[in-house]
Amino acid sequence: MIEYLQFILAPQVVNGLSLGMAVVLMALGLTIIFGLLDVINMSHGEFYAAGAFASVSLLAIGVPFWLMLLLVPLILLPIGFLMEVALIQRVYHHKDRHILTLLLTFGVATVLEDVYKLIWGPNPIRPEAPIGGAIEFLGLILPNYRLFLMAFGGLLIVGVMWLIYKTSFGAIVRAAAFDRDMSASLGISVKRVYALTFSFGVAIAGLSGALLAPIYSAFPTMGKDFILLAFTVVIVGGLGSIKGAVIAGLLLTQVQAISSLYIPPVWTEPLVFTVMVLVLMFKPAGLFGGLKNG
Amino acid sequence: MVSAEKRAIRIVEISLLVASILLFIFAEITGDTFYSRLATEALIFGGLALSVDLLLGLVGLLSLGQAFYFGFGAYLSAVMLKQVAPSFWLTMLVVLVTSALLGWVTSYIALRSRGVYFALITFGLAQVAAKVVYNTRALGASDGMIGVPILQIDFLFFRLDSSDPGQFFLLVFAVIALMYGVLRYITHTPMGAIWHGIRSNENRLAYVGFKSKGPKQVAFVIAAVIAAVSGALYPMLRGFVSPELLFFSVSGNAVVTAVLGGVGSLVGPLLGSVLLTFFKSVIGTWTVHHHIIIGTAFVIVVIFAPRGILGALSKRLASGSDRKGE
Repeated sequence: MIEYLQFILAPQVVNGLSLGMAVVLMALGLTIIFGLLDVINMSHGEFYAAGAFASVSLLAIGVPFWLMLLLVPLILLPIGFLMEVALIQRVYHHKDRHILTLLLTFGVATVLEDVYKLIWGPNPIRPEAPIGGAIEFLGLILPNYRLFLMAFGGLLIVGVMWLIYKTSFGAIVRAAAFDRDMSASLGISVKRVYALTFSFGVAIAGLSGALLAPIYSAFPTMGKDFILLAFTVVIVGGLGSIKGAVIAGLLLTQVQAISSLYIPPVWTEPLVFTVMVLVLMFKPAGLFGGLKNG
Repeated sequence: MVSAEKRAIRIVEISLLVASILLFIFAEITGDTFYSRLATEALIFGGLALSVDLLLGLVGLLSLGQAFYFGFGAYLSAVMLKQVAPSFWLTMLVVLVTSALLGWVTSYIALRSRGVYFALITFGLAQVAAKVVYNTRALGASDGMIGVPILQIDFLFFRLDSSDPGQFFLLVFAVIALMYGVLRYITHTPMGAIWHGIRSNENRLAYVGFKSKGPKQVAFVIAAVIAAVSGALYPMLRGFVSPELLFFSVSGNAVVTAVLGGVGSLVGPLLGSVLLTFFKSVIGTWTVHHHIIIGTAFVIVVIFAPRGILGALSKRLASGSDRKGE
């Protein structure tokens, strides 16, 4: 029994946790963007890939890993800002803006994926993890980089929550999500808040791409492979809810990790999706409310 | 005076019909295979785009998972032809019935949600189906299934051979045209009017005394059948099926095709599919990166001409007749 826990269950939980951190980081950007702008960002996965590829190239030209972690989000911020201003704001006042923005971001995703293929080629590239080795804890082998990832991811999540709930920028974002006309009449430039929030979400996606590249490699379709899980997490947690994204992200990846011990791993995705369908059927707004509710 | 939009639709309908007849004659005379097969493929994916347009353009539901039904039709058709009987009619009948059933069952899942949730749930359904097929040994897993036999398709007075590119093109044209005609007919019935009402304002429909659930379900089932029937033609053309047919890129392409061609016009998606297929084929001779161009065109259309080619055409016709009237 002890051995089962130690050698079979525990490693699965640890693996699930590091994947969970990554999913939560992706889902955070998605859920913030939806909570504020009502935009389903279909290109979110491609920005995650952008972060991974940017990290590959930066590391290749000799930029140290830690500086790279700082540079990647800084590169993605203006890209996200531009995309919001140049594309999304144009269809924002349209009656079908949900569908139009979804289509727009889908078009961008199509272009980006092909651009990655053009620049970096179709094959996976795996940058070297900056922290090698592993430590043994209670007989468990824990790769150091995964431990770092969990700690860093945890800090990042706390940081994002702090930004949204404790700073004046966060208050403005939440106010704009709650009532954009009232916020505008109080002197907030809602348009700029939208663009900033969008680029912020995109930057987090890029950062998680950079963080995960040493584990899962960088390849052009990586965003697409990952985004269904991120969407599932966001839907289960409640579109627009940060708390929901964190809890659902960690929970669902554990479901996936642990269930793969008992059922063939290829069936874990349908299982997670079934959870999403059930949530949509009985609690369509997800487990927690929107951005404004916390 | 017929409206500009109706005239635009009529013009495209007639152009497609004439082009198809010309292509058939061309194929029969020269023995061409390349263009006939390309056009057949364009029509098959046009059928898929048609099913997307039924949901998006007529009812206002964005499906990101039509590849699910398309792939279902394709695999079922391959299994039927290979393992049951190489009969076109039996296969089509089975596909028709089972895809209607599948659409009906999944409609209970998908239609519980609206708007973006509907889009995401259809996306998820298709993704899961693709994963399942990809990992099912009996369906050939990641390799798919090859060796779908050539068909002799019996009509009462004559026979068609699916290995003859011209004849098979004609058959596919007839199937797609039939589905198009049925859809066109439905838009003139009360059901079509209710769909229009759902697209304009679903909540208001209830005040006028109509339920929206049933008509939405009908649309969903018909869309599933159209996608599946189109899919069923695919293995007859190519002789194989692969799990890629269920992938998101297929669903996504269908949405792109429908939007580029003109959402809500029904004939627009068919035109869009013909143009895109030929464009990809032409551009494919010098680069594999056609998605950059198509994606950019798509973004531009969504922003500047949300009603696609058909919308632009009817606008031009309208301004033309204004000038004449002056």
